[in-house]
Amino acid sequence: MSQARKRRPIGQTLRIVGGVMVSIIFLFPVYWMVLTSFKQQVDIFTSPPTFWFEPTIAAYAEYMTRADILPRLINTVVVATLSALFSIIVGTMAGYALARIQIRGAATFGALILLSRGVPPIALAVPMFLVARNLGLTDQHITLILAYSTFLVPYVMWLMRSFFLSLPRELEESAMIDGCSRYGAFFKIILPISLPGLLSTLIFSMILAWEELLFALVLTNRNASTIPVAIAGIAGDTVNGANWAALTAVGTITVVPVVIFALLVQKWLIKGLADGATKG
Amino acid sequence: MGTVQIRNARKSYGSVEVLHGVSIDIEEGEFVALVGPSGCGKSTLLRMIAGLEEITSGHILIGDRIVNDVAPKDRDIAMVFQNYALYPHKNVRDNMGFALRQRRVSRDEINVRVTEAARILGLEELLDRKPRALSGGQRQRVAMGRAIVRDPNVFLFDEPLSNLDAKLRVQMRSEIKELHQRLKTTTIYVTHDQIEAMTLADRVVVMNSGVIEQAGPPLELYDNPATLFVAAFIGSPPMNFFEGDLVGGTGLVMGDGTRLALPEADPKGRQRATVGVRAEHFDLAEKGWPATVSVVEPTGSETLVMARLAGDVVRVLIRGRTAVQPGETIHLRPQRGSLHFFDAAPVPEVAQMEDVA
Ligand SMILES: Nc1ncnc2c1ncn2[C@@H]1O[C@H](COP(=O)(O)OP(=O)(O)O)[C@@H](O)[C@H]1O
Ligand SMILES: [Mg+2]
Repeated sequence: MSQARKRRPIGQTLRIVGGVMVSIIFLFPVYWMVLTSFKQQVDIFTSPPTFWFEPTIAAYAEYMTRADILPRLINTVVVATLSALFSIIVGTMAGYALARIQIRGAATFGALILLSRGVPPIALAVPMFLVARNLGLTDQHITLILAYSTFLVPYVMWLMRSFFLSLPRELEESAMIDGCSRYGAFFKIILPISLPGLLSTLIFSMILAWEELLFALVLTNRNASTIPVAIAGIAGDTVNGANWAALTAVGTITVVPVVIFALLVQKWLIKGLADGATKG
Repeated sequence: MGTVQIRNARKSYGSVEVLHGVSIDIEEGEFVALVGPSGCGKSTLLRMIAGLEEITSGHILIGDRIVNDVAPKDRDIAMVFQNYALYPHKNVRDNMGFALRQRRVSRDEINVRVTEAARILGLEELLDRKPRALSGGQRQRVAMGRAIVRDPNVFLFDEPLSNLDAKLRVQMRSEIKELHQRLKTTTIYVTHDQIEAMTLADRVVVMNSGVIEQAGPPLELYDNPATLFVAAFIGSPPMNFFEGDLVGGTGLVMGDGTRLALPEADPKGRQRATVGVRAEHFDLAEKGWPATVSVVEPTGSETLVMARLAGDVVRVLIRGRTAVQPGETIHLRPQRGSLHFFDAAPVPEVAQMEDVA
């Protein structure tokens, strides 16, 4: 390993430089957004754009106190957390069943569920809206949570299914010989081993729910509306034009938790690998 | 009670039957090895005894109870898997104590039994380690420890030594034998390695394509193989075979016209036969079957000579040393009473594991 490095220092350097450049390209817009959110209106529109300005939290102060941001932020947290939790419970058990229990047609069933993810969400949004309206459930948190579960459950199920498949089934068999039922083997042996993978999947699910726009737009309007809807509203304000300070401030608030989540995932994933969880 | 009876057990996966009616009676305290080439159904049978596979038809009894519908946890068995299946998130102590915990044995009692098992297997220093911090051999020992703390009615082993290197395998083989002599627990041991089966077991059951070819004490299988398959499978170096027409009682005429004089006639008086001779049952003589030496492998106590006879390789094991040189023609005389006669058939391809022994 170290020898290979010594032999090819140029390749190594190129790879690092390449990596840094790609990171800059991807991160610059985020950086610019965060920067802009602390600017005053005059600084936002100076040309050429400036990196030096007197920072202000006016945009945050203004928009956080405005009625439609804080409740929407809370809605987003509630909907993302609950839909991810619900999906992780249902999806993990379904994934385990698909991975381990030999039922006739299980493979077909699994493929069908996966196939359902191939349907464009827009094709589902309108029927969902009609169903919700007939049930008197428009603009409710539960509606959004159920709607998100339609894509989160299959997502969790497939991730966890392949994770369970990577575990030797002798683990559960050993536990079953040692005195567990299949449920006991699942909860006492498989679940603890799967924890890092489970937490990562939970976080990814929360991120997916967190940034979902289409269903939120169609199924909610005020009571259960989420942050992505707010951003779309500000960006698409044709009357006053987009308010850049507001847009970037709300955008930053939306992104920060996602970044924290992603970092957590990385930490758990690495811990999981170090634990050798998948190796006997 | 540690007896196991398998009565006409069959197993099908979908429409494919992989075990075609297997019956074995295993006595209390017996060490039985199930041996056979890969895919012959050994693991399937063992897993049926463990309760990990459904029994398609037939019965399995542990003690005097039919266990077909008894859950694995209620069969009072312990099993060691080829990949050990140690619980990665538990340390050695908790791995070994897990089964007792499930049975609500008191903490003190668990401690005593785990410590005792660890002492027997030399694991005292490793009790607080996680499996990933153990070597292959240590993991193997922990897997054994997990089985013996249980003090079950029956031990089931599925190729427990296959993941170890040759030297460790031989060492653990002796330890398993010693352990059995000490604990006297009924043991069913699956392996594809005939030497492992021969050295460990009181009784060897040779399986092939889902049926039992022969069952018996190791040396009985060696001396009196009932089928061509068993003859080819048991023994290292493998038995030599010669196929041809039997003429005039003691003449064997092979495909290319070579005529070999046999020291005795086939008791069953076949027209055509495959005749087997073990490598150590040849004498070098003035007159006999002419063969051209190709390779000489001295090991000190004995010498393995490979020679060509009528296009086939013949293995000859000579006690002590020999002056025979490659290229030389030697004359082989099979010892009286050493011939094995079988219905004429091609010799089964049996992949033998050459072990260091
Ligand atoms: N779950 C299964 N589904 C279908 N066929 C199987 C399954 N398990 C084993 N088999 C088949 O049963 C036969 C016996 O397998 P196995 O008992 O594992 O052999 P062995 O342990 O002797 O190598 C093999 O042909 C194998 O392909
Ligand atoms: Mg096997």
